[in-house]
Amino acid sequence: MEKLSFELALKKLEESVEQLESGELELEESIKVFEQGIELSLFCRKELSQAEGKIQWLVKNLGGEFELLDFEV
Amino acid sequence: MKEILTVTELNSYIANLLDSDPFLGQLWLRGEISGFRLYQQSGHMYFTLKDEDSTISAVMFKSRARGLKFKPKDGMEVLLRASVSVFARQGKYQLYVEEMQPYGIGGLFLYLEELKKKLAAKGYFAPERKKAIPAFVQRVGIVTSQDGAALRDICRILKQRHPGVEVVLVHSSVQGSEAPGELAEGLRLLNSYGEVELIIIGRGGGSYEDLMAFNSELVVQAIYESNIPVISAVGHEVDFTLADLVADLRAATPSQAASLAVADMQALSRQLDNYQQRLLRAMQRKLLYYTEIIDRLMMKRIWKQPRSLLHMREELLSQLEKRLSRGMTETFREKKMRLSMNVAALDSLSPLKIMERGYVLLQKEGRIIRDEQQVQIGDRLEVAMRHADLEIEVIKKERVKRWKS
Repeated sequence: MEKLSFELALKKLEESVEQLESGELELEESIKVFEQGIELSLFCRKELSQAEGKIQWLVKNLGGEFELLDFEV
Repeated sequence: MKEILTVTELNSYIANLLDSDPFLGQLWLRGEISGFRLYQQSGHMYFTLKDEDSTISAVMFKSRARGLKFKPKDGMEVLLRASVSVFARQGKYQLYVEEMQPYGIGGLFLYLEELKKKLAAKGYFAPERKKAIPAFVQRVGIVTSQDGAALRDICRILKQRHPGVEVVLVHSSVQGSEAPGELAEGLRLLNSYGEVELIIIGRGGGSYEDLMAFNSELVVQAIYESNIPVISAVGHEVDFTLADLVADLRAATPSQAASLAVADMQALSRQLDNYQQRLLRAMQRKLLYYTEIIDRLMMKRIWKQPRSLLHMREELLSQLEKRLSRGMTETFREKKMRLSMNVAALDSLSPLKIMERGYVLLQKEGRIIRDEQQVQIGDRLEVAMRHADLEIEVIKKERVKRWKS
């Protein structure tokens, strides 16, 4: 399966919430949607805290390869 | 001893030198026209471009001159795009002019309008070809000057909104004759690197001329060709550069570009909180709903007094029994009544009753006599009366008619 993107996860989470709030689901289905919603929200939280937050300088070196240099603003 | 060159060889060597220099291949410059000549036969224009201290020869061929929107004259200040090369026959270098506009804001404006029209006709600014800005960006590419305030502004706002964001910078000059080529190259570099989801290209505010690089065809072309969405961030509120028009999104300032580029993590985090709470609440409501149903069901007597169902059955049974026995009695009584009615009827038909009225039963040797032919004179007959039996002898026999039949 393709890796879930944050955007998609957020959208699915929103759908889960609305579905559950509609109150139209059977109990068993409700529990499934609820569990999925919680999983999605945890996934989103993890995604939010994953990036390292570097600032780097992209150059092409003499060999024509990309090189990322740390950079302080 | 060194090789001896011909003049032509030298000139062509110098020409090669100049032609291979990228800077001389495409540059913008301004100056004043003098010695303007238009050759009627060929349609080519020749003039000298000068400032206070120096001059350079310039030629604009007919194919280029055709597009001019004004009549060049001596003394006119112009802005032009040209390359520098050698005119071997005279052994001099000169400008080969591609485009030319009257200089000054008015002239610049004219030039921009012209370029804008041309690019618009090619569909460069069409809304339908603009790429969507991703909602959640983790790696932002920036093409700007490493020394500019724009970079600091962008990074500050990016970090403020999304502390985890990664920034990939490509340095480029943002004004001067090298800027268009470097900016365009920066965009291409980020595209071939490919690891950023979004590119911000821009610079801080400046004079109209400072921003010229962002009006250059090279930059417009590179933005147009970028596979990665581009936000333009040229620091000026009022006027649009052509880069703004072709970019997928235009920000008025570098800071605004940063705001548009990444989601506000605090807001997103709040949104996630909100979703989680709503999930929990909705689930609790659901469970409460079912709990209530179960409670309601449990309230029923049957669960509290399991024997009541039995009682109910017993009651029903005894009711049925009662109805049955009542029914039986009814039936019995009815039968009895009908019996006594039958008995009465039977009674009235009995021969005894008839005998009471004076009739008798005549028998011969135990057989009932109905007809005079059954008896002969002298026969002994038995007569049964109500309260007695007689034995009689037949002494006379006569047929009579009792009533007309």
